[in-house]
Parts: sequence; structure tokens; C-alpha cells
Amino acid sequence: MNDRPNGAELLAAARVALLEELLTDLPEQRRYLARMVANAMAIAARELELGDGIDRAELTSLRRLFQDPEPDASEEMAARLEALNRRLCVEIRDGRFAGGAEEARLRDHLRRSLEARVAVSNPKALGR
Amino acid sequence: MSLAERLPALARFIAEAAQATIAHIVHCRPLAGGAIQENWVLEVELSDGPQAGRHELVLRTDALSNVAVSRSRAEEFALIQTAHRAGVAVPEPLWLGGDLNVLGKAFFLMRKVPGVAAGHRLAKDPGFPIDRIRLAERLGEELAKIHALVPPQPDLEFLGTPSPHPALDRIAEYRRHLDALGLARPGLEYGLAWAERHAPEPTMITLTHQDYRTGNYLVNETGLAAILDWEFADWGDPDADLGWFCARCWRFGAVDREAGGVGARADFIRGYERGSGRHVEPGRVRFWEVMAHLRWAVIALQQADRHVSGREPSLELALTGRIPVELELEALRLIGAADPLECVR
Repeated sequence: MNDRPNGAELLAAARVALLEELLTDLPEQRRYLARMVANAMAIAARELELGDGIDRAELTSLRRLFQDPEPDASEEMAARLEALNRRLCVEIRDGRFAGGAEEARLRDHLRRSLEARVAVSNPKALGR
Repeated sequence: MSLAERLPALARFIAEAAQATIAHIVHCRPLAGGAIQENWVLEVELSDGPQAGRHELVLRTDALSNVAVSRSRAEEFALIQTAHRAGVAVPEPLWLGGDLNVLGKAFFLMRKVPGVAAGHRLAKDPGFPIDRIRLAERLGEELAKIHALVPPQPDLEFLGTPSPHPALDRIAEYRRHLDALGLARPGLEYGLAWAERHAPEPTMITLTHQDYRTGNYLVNETGLAAILDWEFADWGDPDADLGWFCARCWRFGAVDREAGGVGARADFIRGYERGSGRHVEPGRVRFWEVMAHLRWAVIALQQADRHVSGREPSLELALTGRIPVELELEALRLIGAADPLECVR
């Protein structure tokens, strides 16, 4: 399916209409809610555009972290991502990755995957 | 039942408490407040008695979604009374309404203090001149007064026995919350694991406010007017309050003003050291800034869960669910700065 405008483009157009045409007609005390609506639309649009790539990159990075060679094609990406993240949580809590190169590798993985997700939720927070 | 329907019972309660024949509630409006407590401004006219005349009061009671971690209104009232007696700038606590027949839930009344609390206004422009050096110092001095209260305190018995290691308790608590939510958050797990390995022994245990930050105090033309929101106060490591106050996530966009977005860190710490007579170790404050981001991330996940679970659909709560990644990333940056690892590849 490649209907244009796609989902992200529709959200972007709707957001412009909300902020540039509707917002000024709203009473002052309703504008905060309208801005929240616009923010939710912006996040959703960025996720539609970037989400798959971010998930794939995170999965690749997790596999490298665990030296997990078998790319399980039968399994859905989201399920595999969830399973590896759960495993990572358990191992971190159990004290693996504490100190030295292991910890540096973990930090590197976390920084990259968190930055990718902040680029969706609030890209402004990255420019510092 | 709404507060409006309860006003006659409330007026009778106030009259009795103030030893007046009649208390007339002239005006009553909700105060924009937190997700946990509900605040109302009441204008009350007392017909006679020792406090005859017009009074502006704030009524504080539980909101619908009561979060289990916060203290009861009776406990919060006792905390404010203790702080008031110790000379901390708080709204004068007046009367505790423990009788559920009045409002259907516990409440207390305090004297209204005029001023601005909103973080984004204080960080940018509160609408009146603000001496930022003096404000930051005063915030440090006021926090030192809170930390001068050490256990045991007869009126604060409900706080229980202080734990010898508040940081480790907190870490365990945040893990319990994460487990209860059933969420896999490697960023938070790493932050907590790092904190567990680097938690400093507390130098002392004092009363700690636990939510001492911009947004929870009032400022007016005369400067710092009152410290609010005592619902999380507990025995703890005083450095925890310093870290929470300075944490980047509570600077309301004014990230260069490291003291709560309103002033310089050096001014805040100077005021605190002068007030407490205690030397502040910057590394310990940094540790608690890491903890601040982890704590706020856990709270944000809990708030988002109220929406995600369907219990309380709300766009504001839903958006809160997208804040934790930023907090995890900031915690990671702080950890990297505090504890650089030699081998980066």
C-alpha cells in the first residue's frame, strides 16, 4: 500500500490545520489541550516514519551485545525485540555488564537506542 | 458528591474550629493542582471569635486517583505543622478535618499565601522582578531548615524508623514499581544497577521533603514565600533533596540555571551551606541527580500506566509515557560524566 498522503503526511497536515487555523479560535484555557493534541500527532507522525528503522537498529544492536547469531526469521520483530530487552533487563539486574569493556558496550548500546527513541518523542532534547 | 454540595457542612466545621458563631464561605474555587491532591481556595467570613473577619484559605484534600505512595492528609498536616514550628516558610496550617462526615474524605485548611508556583513562569518571567541570586540562596537556606529536623520527632512517629541506607531502599522500591508495571526498560535497569554500585553512605539522616523543586514553592514580590507539597516527606539522605532540586528535568527549559531553572547552583549551595553549616560534596549531589531522573522516570511510567491500562484515559497521562526515554538518556549522560569508563569500544 502506498496511498498518498501516507499516515505521517496526514498527521502532519492535520497538525498544521490544528495549530494554524483552529488554535486562534480556541479560548485561552483550551489552548494547552490543543497543544498537547498537536504534540501527540507530531510524535505519532515521527514514529510512523522512523519506528521500523529504529526497531531494526535496536534489534541488530541487541544481537551484537549478546553475540546472538541466529536471526530468527519466523519470529516477529516486535516479539524478538521485547524478548531480548527482557533478557537484557534481567542480566543487568543480575550484575552482568558491571565494569570495564562490557559496561562500556552496554552504555554504547543504551545511548544509541535511547537517542533514537528521543528523536521520536522529543527531538529538541537531543540538540544540546 | 461535589465540594459545592458539601459547603454547608464545611462552613459549620470552620465555624467550630475557629470558635465563631457563623462561618460564611463567600467564595470557593478550585486551584490548579497536582494529579494527586485537590486544592481549593476559600474566602471565609468569620462572624466573631478570636479570628473574626475575612480570611483566604486553601483546602487540600485527596483527588480521585489517589496514589498509594503519598501520605495521608493527616500526616501531611502534621509535617506542615512541624515545619511551621521549626520556622520553615510554609502556609500556616490551621485545621485538620479528619471527620469523613464533612467532605466524605479527609482534608485540611491552611492560610493562603499569595505568589506564583508555576515552574514555567518562574523559570522565564513570573510577571514581577525577581532577584535570582537571592531566591536561589533563600531556597538553599530554607532547605537547610528542613534538614535541621532530625529523628526522632514525636509528632512524626508515622514516618517510622529511619532506614540506614535510603539510596538502596529507593533503588529496591523503583525496581518493585517496574516489576509491578511489567515493563522491560534497560535504560532504567542500568541506571539503577549503576546507582546500586555507587550509592554513597548517607552522612546523616534528616527530615527530607522529597519533592523540593521548582513548581512546589511560592514566590512573590518579597521573594520566596512558602514551601508547598509535603506529601512525600520522609526521613532520608539530605543530599537527595539537593539533587532533586538541581536535576535537569526540573529546570523547566531554563537548563543553564542549574538550581531549579530559577538560579545558579553555586548560589543555592552557598545558601544551603550557610544555613546548615554542612559542606556539600558535589559528587554526592550528582549521584542524587542521577537518582532524580530514575525516580521521575518511574513515576512517569506509573502515570502513563493509568492511561495505557484504560483505568483513566487522558491525553496528558498518555504523553507522560513518552517522557521516560529522555530521562533515561539524561541519567546515562550524568553517569558517563560522573564515571567515565576507560574502554569505550
